Amino acid sequence: MPDAALYLTILIALPFVGSVIAAFFPTNARNAEAWLAGTVSLTNLVITIMFLPSVRNAKVVRAEYEWLPDYGLNFIARLDGFAWCFSILIFGIGFLVVLYARYYMSPADPAPRFFSFLLAFMGAMTGVVLAGNLIQLVFFWELTSLFSFLLIAYWHHNQNARDGARVALTVTAAGGLCLLGGMLIIGHIVGSYDLDVVLASGDRIVSHALYLPTLLLVAMGALTKSAQFPFQFWLPRAMAAPTPVSAYLHSATMVKAGVFLLARLWPVMSNHEYWFWIFASVGVLTLLIGAFMALFQQDLKGLLAYSTISHLGLITLLLGLGSPLAMVAAVFHIINHATFKASLFMAAGIIDHEAGTRDVRRLGGLFRAMPITATLAMVAAASMAGVPLLNGFISKEMFFTETIESHGNSVLDNNLPYLATLAGMFSVAYSVRLIDQVFFGPAATDLPRKPHDPVIWMLVPIGLLVLICLLIGILPGPTVGGFLATAVQGVLGPQLPSYSLAVWHGFTPALIMSFVALIGGVVTYFTLKTYLSGNIEGAPVLRRLKGKRIFERAIVILSWRWARRIADIVGTTRLQPQLRLLLLIAMLAALWPLSAGALASGALALDVDWPFAVDPSFVLLWIVGCGCALGAAYQAKYHRLAAVIIMGGAGLATCITFAWLSAPDLALTQLLVEIVTTVLLLLGLRWLPQRLEDTGVRISFGARLRRLRDLGIAIVGGAGLAAIAYAVMTRPQINSISSTFLERAYSEGGGRNVVNVILVDFRGFDTLGEITVLGIVAITVFALLRRFRPARVSVEAPRQKRFQNQFDADRYDAPKAGIAAHYMIVPGLIMRLLFPVVAMMAVFLFMRGHDAPGGGFVAGLTFAIAFILQYMAGGARWVEARLRVLPVRWIGVGLLVAAATGLAALVFDRPFLTSAFQYADLPVLGRVPLASALVFDFGVFSLVLGATVLVLIALAHQSIRIYRAMAAAKAAETDAIEEAR
Amino acid sequence: MNWLEHLTVAPILIPLVAGGFMLLLDGRNRTVAAAINVVATLSLLVVAIMLVALEGGQNAGGHVYLLGNWPAPFGIVLVADRLSVLMLLVTAILGSATLLFALARWDKAGAFFHPLFQFLLMGLNGAFLTGDIFNLFVFFEVLLAASYGLALHGSGPARVKAGLHYIAINLVAALLFLIGASLIYGTAGTLNMAALATRIAGLPPDERLLFEIGVAVLGVAFLVKSAMWPIGFWLPNTYAAAAPPIAAMFSILTKVGIYAVLRLGFLVSSSEDDVSLLFGGNWLMVGGIATILFGMIGIMASQEMAKLAGFSVLVSSGTLLAAIGYGGAAVTGGALFYLVSSTFAIAAFFLLIELVERGRAPADDVLAVTLEAYGLDDPDEADDSGEVGIAIPAIMAILGSAFIACAVLLSGLPPLSGFVAKFAILSALVEPTRGPTESWGAWAVFATILMSGLATLIAMTRAGIRTFWASIDRDLPHVRVVELAPVAILLILCIMLTVQAGWAMRYMRMTAEGLARPGAYIGAVFAAPPAQTEPFKAAPVATTADGGPP
Repeated sequence: MPDAALYLTILIALPFVGSVIAAFFPTNARNAEAWLAGTVSLTNLVITIMFLPSVRNAKVVRAEYEWLPDYGLNFIARLDGFAWCFSILIFGIGFLVVLYARYYMSPADPAPRFFSFLLAFMGAMTGVVLAGNLIQLVFFWELTSLFSFLLIAYWHHNQNARDGARVALTVTAAGGLCLLGGMLIIGHIVGSYDLDVVLASGDRIVSHALYLPTLLLVAMGALTKSAQFPFQFWLPRAMAAPTPVSAYLHSATMVKAGVFLLARLWPVMSNHEYWFWIFASVGVLTLLIGAFMALFQQDLKGLLAYSTISHLGLITLLLGLGSPLAMVAAVFHIINHATFKASLFMAAGIIDHEAGTRDVRRLGGLFRAMPITATLAMVAAASMAGVPLLNGFISKEMFFTETIESHGNSVLDNNLPYLATLAGMFSVAYSVRLIDQVFFGPAATDLPRKPHDPVIWMLVPIGLLVLICLLIGILPGPTVGGFLATAVQGVLGPQLPSYSLAVWHGFTPALIMSFVALIGGVVTYFTLKTYLSGNIEGAPVLRRLKGKRIFERAIVILSWRWARRIADIVGTTRLQPQLRLLLLIAMLAALWPLSAGALASGALALDVDWPFAVDPSFVLLWIVGCGCALGAAYQAKYHRLAAVIIMGGAGLATCITFAWLSAPDLALTQLLVEIVTTVLLLLGLRWLPQRLEDTGVRISFGARLRRLRDLGIAIVGGAGLAAIAYAVMTRPQINSISSTFLERAYSEGGGRNVVNVILVDFRGFDTLGEITVLGIVAITVFALLRRFRPARVSVEAPRQKRFQNQFDADRYDAPKAGIAAHYMIVPGLIMRLLFPVVAMMAVFLFMRGHDAPGGGFVAGLTFAIAFILQYMAGGARWVEARLRVLPVRWIGVGLLVAAATGLAALVFDRPFLTSAFQYADLPVLGRVPLASALVFDFGVFSLVLGATVLVLIALAHQSIRIYRAMAAAKAAETDAIEEAR
Repeated sequence: MNWLEHLTVAPILIPLVAGGFMLLLDGRNRTVAAAINVVATLSLLVVAIMLVALEGGQNAGGHVYLLGNWPAPFGIVLVADRLSVLMLLVTAILGSATLLFALARWDKAGAFFHPLFQFLLMGLNGAFLTGDIFNLFVFFEVLLAASYGLALHGSGPARVKAGLHYIAINLVAALLFLIGASLIYGTAGTLNMAALATRIAGLPPDERLLFEIGVAVLGVAFLVKSAMWPIGFWLPNTYAAAAPPIAAMFSILTKVGIYAVLRLGFLVSSSEDDVSLLFGGNWLMVGGIATILFGMIGIMASQEMAKLAGFSVLVSSGTLLAAIGYGGAAVTGGALFYLVSSTFAIAAFFLLIELVERGRAPADDVLAVTLEAYGLDDPDEADDSGEVGIAIPAIMAILGSAFIACAVLLSGLPPLSGFVAKFAILSALVEPTRGPTESWGAWAVFATILMSGLATLIAMTRAGIRTFWASIDRDLPHVRVVELAPVAILLILCIMLTVQAGWAMRYMRMTAEGLARPGAYIGAVFAAPPAQTEPFKAAPVATTADGGPP
């Protein structure tokens, strides 16, 4: 073939392309969809057939594309004889299923979804088969699970379909994840994911220490996909899918992926007793259970599903035996099973369609009504039972032969022939039951519809498959010999074991087993006939063992009830435990290096200078400060006002400490911050509901214990932090960059106030960020408080205010009672007069900032205090009627000025925020230093002012809004009273 | 300096200036604010793409920008290396997508959406670019402050409650950050990350001890941000309660913590014993595994889809922490790929949830789950009526496909980038190059990642079936194209990541290898020359002996 790589790619890509196209057809375009899907599968079938010469005699065709080379993952399409055989099944049966589905689906069914998913599944399945890379195999493997899920749930309004789809997906996808794990380990052992490399690795996997986990993971993948015990339960549930899906996915292709995988890895993994034990025992169990359960099914498709499980068990068993001959039998049975089971499913679909039910007990005598369907189905069923002259007989005889062969002298091995014959008996029994109860006996009378043969095009696919059954069964050598040899060579290499494909091998033990099974099966069926027709659901004994029910329970318990319980135990949504945990973790993290380091060096010896000569007044200051801090914490819960004020004391102590330790700039800033925050907190406190101490309630012992524990955490954390802080601050800075700041502040930053130069120049970028934070916080507070509605208890005026108003009203007999008009009149006047003074102070602080304590931040806060005073004195309305207060814009201006100052440097070809300074001789002021940093500082000033005032306004407007709301409520009330009158 | 040099600072300045202008409008004219927002965000996208084009291919330590023209370690430097520009690009893409979505209706749910959004972008970009620990703190604060505002956007009791929890936790985290940073400055004498890296080895034992305490406390602050168990409980509720486009944007916030761990973790590794301080003792890996486990339990226990998405963020975070904690360039490379893929996927999912849940009564969920939990939906009673399919309306088909894509991405199933990412991490985990001591860790991470995929799949299937299949007679959601477009864009990017996996992964791997060898980064920071001396300024003193690289 000239361009093999291209055609190989087409094989995988064409179905996916078709799937995408199919999705965009109109809802009722059944014919167009069928033509599209049919063309796709036929084209691929023809391409596959053309590949035959290239894959004969164990030759391989490869196409490789680079995908993820760094991780050893390339996209490799690889076709050998075995993959070729599967491709024929996929496209051949795919084509027949498409033809069948065209007539099976009702005109009302939305065709695009069905055909689109079907084609996508076909592509995914092709991907699995043609994967030349282990990871790529898993890739398409999971895709088949996904599309199978979507196809099973095609009739998603049906609860059974939804459940069946979900169970199927959960089981097969879980298997797929295990498989991924297994494949990764194989890649790890072999050193490559390339299938050819893996297949050439000989005994490396088997002899590796990780063989058992690998095998188990791979087995999980294969056994779930092929519905082997104990994962068999998903397949019967998947029968809720439309019948073409069952015929295609759940008999011919997808469920075969598991055994395909086992056969694929068979050359490099089967040479170990674990392989035999796992797959032979699982296979034989599944074979028996499946066949036994199938006999007792009342649903036609259920019977076929269990039969499929059983036949897959047979194939798994054959693969588990590990001998090349068993391999040949397995491949042969894969082909045969696909032909007879697909046709049986299609027949079951027709019966369901025409008769309106799939219940075996209600059907009967259909032979007269639909002779063609009946004949075809009977041939297929006979093949399933292993009747001579049909293909099922030949592969089953090969199977029987293999069970007799010895594969290690174990109990399982010695009993295999008997178990196989027993399973064969059941298989015959359910086949006979299918034929007898559906097609013969008295004609059913209570059928929902009057059955008759369907249109010819629905019978053609079945007819073709049955014809193949017959041809293989009568003339195995000429028909299927080459095909089988090609397929087997794909797995075993050019050296084939000697086997003969013939109907007659003489009187062999296998023939005897076949006859025992046939006769035994017929006898079994007729013995049980009446029992089976009775009111039974499922097989005796095993009926109780509802895999599906157990599985669903387990999933619900695991994924829902336990998950919720565990989530409650190991997680929390409450704030307090979260904060406690966070602190504990932080403390542990801090202790970790301490303990590790101390343990390693043998002693916990930090050289710390202990202060022996301290000024007593400084000590007193700190005692007061610490006392305030503790007091604030103590009062915080029930006496917020007290706590806020006491906190101010602690702040003041910090302030004085800064001044004491020669940091005037810090002291000034701290002082202003303390003032502003305390005022704002007090304003906010007004709107919080009061908290009352429950003095009467006895605190339980547990609660006490919890509080003690929290106290302990607080003490350890606080003391630890204090110790660490002390240790760091008292040690000499050896090679810190801080000395550089001192040296360079004036020479390069143009300012004598080093703190300010650091803030606006060295680390001006930090300041830019921090003022942004301030601005963001302000607008956040504003946005939050705009929607804030205070609690009912905080709405009315506080007691003191009411008292004062009452007093004023009594005394002055004034119509307009108001605190501002009487009580506050003198302080108010002073506050108003202070406005220009404070403003001037702010300008002063701002101007001197670069050289002496002050600066934009402090100036902004000072100016804000001027505003706060006005609001306090006159109230929000009074101020806003007289002053244009536009804090949001001030914030904007601040940010833009600061940013523009920095950007100006770009014009001079310098990086952002490069500063410049110069002295200028101004008329009145004389020689003043002018630094670009001053403009930047103005931005800081504007923003700090804007942010503080915005928060102030957000709080102040609460009162306006609340009175408005109260007025509205009152008005509504009076209206209601008026109306009532 | 040519203008391209200044490109490094642009991702911070554009949102700053845009936000400033919006505030100048006083938040009154929403249309203009929205227009500024769109222009700024799209320019960020362009800048990010240019930066990736400029820096992505280079093998050096990245482009260093000296703010204020002060040489390292005295001033603040910005460093645009591969990791930084990658994060910038992810942020810009995410920002564009979520903004588009928000413009349809959510920006009107409260005041100041547009400036807050820009400030969030500013904080994120700054955190990704800066090469200075205190500056990192500042940008953390910027992005956190903006995220407080955005988490509360739209108000409502649930949002305010979750938002205030979020604020409280993050304030403590910020305090820890500050403590850590001051300890580091107090002992090492610098906050410049590169300078720090050169100084650790020379620290005397006492300083070293205090320094390590500082790093540990700092690490806790980062881990709060990346929501590691047991200090990440704040996340699911906050994200679930936040307005959907904001929750989608928040999917990158946890990645800031991860970024900081990556950046500092590799830099602050003591050179002599090759054990990183932040990664020491396998803590990160164990924490990551615990986070994945908790996340997956939470995913399964979630009724609302928004909660499910919130817990997916935990799984994503945990996976990253575990992978990074395990270490190695190959694993880290895979983790970076996972970072990008999972961020997009979770963002798309958050947006999608809002579209899907329109026109659905919230009680439906509770009922469906209760029925299932008690096994009341006995399939035997189910109606077998009519095996005729029901056509899915086009809008539901589109949303359904997007949902499947999200489920596939989050659970790491093929064919999308989630699978590629998981494969890369897992395959690197089983690489036979590590010693036996690490191998238990490798297997633990390996198994946990695989299990988390299954748990996600189970939960997503349950949620999907309930939403798309179980209730047929539901009202169709009214969805506009501008709202579908962002979801589509994010998902298409994930598809492109899958198709171009080789190229993308090479970038990630180069990034990871660069991180593992911080020499180039440190060299670049110290080698960056200041622009020539200004006329009125003395020449900067040459780098002092203690400041420069040894």
